[in-house]
Amino acid sequence: MKRAPLLVLAGTAAGFVGVLTFHTRPVSATTPGQAQPSAMPSASSAATSSAAAGPAAAGPTRAAAGSTLVRSAAGQIVQFGYGELNVRVTVNGSHITAVSVTDLQTAEPTSQQISEQAIPMLRSEVLSAQSANVNGISGATFTSRAYVQSLQAALDKLNVK
Amino acid sequence: MTEAGAAGAGAGAAGAGRAGQPAAVKRTVDVMGTVVSFTVLGLGEAAAETALDQAGDVLREADETFSLWKPGSPVSRLRRGETELAQVPPEVSEVLELCRMARTWSRGWFDPWAMPGGVDPTGLVKGWAVERARDVLRRAGAAAALVSGGGDLAVFGQPAPGQEWRAGIQHPWRRDALAGIIEVRAAAATSGTYERGPHLIDPRTGQPGHRGVSATVTGPSLALADALATAVAVGGDDALDAIGALDGYAGYLIRPDGSEAYTGGIDVLPR
Repeated sequence: MKRAPLLVLAGTAAGFVGVLTFHTRPVSATTPGQAQPSAMPSASSAATSSAAAGPAAAGPTRAAAGSTLVRSAAGQIVQFGYGELNVRVTVNGSHITAVSVTDLQTAEPTSQQISEQAIPMLRSEVLSAQSANVNGISGATFTSRAYVQSLQAALDKLNVK
Repeated sequence: MTEAGAAGAGAGAAGAGRAGQPAAVKRTVDVMGTVVSFTVLGLGEAAAETALDQAGDVLREADETFSLWKPGSPVSRLRRGETELAQVPPEVSEVLELCRMARTWSRGWFDPWAMPGGVDPTGLVKGWAVERARDVLRRAGAAAALVSGGGDLAVFGQPAPGQEWRAGIQHPWRRDALAGIIEVRAAAATSGTYERGPHLIDPRTGQPGHRGVSATVTGPSLALADALATAVAVGGDDALDAIGALDGYAGYLIRPDGSEAYTGGIDVLPR
């Protein structure tokens, strides 16, 4: 399978940042001005380098192609169905190099097991963003009004590679 | 939206000018209560625009015929017993025949005749209409095309030599993220309970109910894939087993606890 040119991927990720930052249930603990890695749907590859520590990003992360700056930032708190969690994402230039779960809250202790099952999926999905290079989104059954905030709308702004 | 605009410009710089090929033509059409996105390759701009006009007409006609939101639509009148099958457009019979097929193939997990208020083919119509719109583009001579509407994708051809169309599967709990990626050769449909709430009716109880939060089905027909995805979202593992027994169709299920299940024949990336 061919990979898309890096420029396209970086552009995609940057396009999502700041545009697609909504959640089904807003959580008050969000800090304004933080980077929102949860808004980078498709970034990429395996999070093996857990210690790619760099200065915490103060402003929104813009993944510029060619940059070698290493930054990490905590994302917005995310609802995942059985509770909330927070993800820290480390970016080296335009690549996500690490994703870690920094906080996990579940409604009841018995949910813990469920959460541990769900988290690997969440992690792989954040990581998948770097290799996404997709042509369409399946399952985005948005209304006309919600379309402007959808992943499909972001894709439609991009030219075909 | 400024950042998205900048992203588009960047991608254009990277992707402009495949040798000997007209540029891709894109369009979005607001229809059927959602937005349908088109990408057409291999047609000149004027021919592509004409074909897209016709494809849009196909979607609007389907909406006029099948919409349950429009009290005067043929299917609405059929449900109220104000008209008969012989008096409505022949497409209605065609769709109901596909519904019967999907009911059998899904072991009853998709059943338009078990819906409250009379027969309701909505779970199949969207895919059917998107598929017909794609076929308009194929007949117009396009080399390849993708039509994406309301969670359903129909494609033909290849986006680039040696590449297949790639679809991101909407993450069930994060609207800005993907649960995975699949390659699509004809049709893919994802049905879920995450965007419009618990709108799925369990045909075995007549009440809202679901055993999956997200169900994706791929196969040769988008009409059937759409209905079968609804079946898997409602029926969970039992319905997924039914899909696995079908020739040419494959399924991917995300259960309410976040765990996943697959039939053979579908590769959800990354693994």
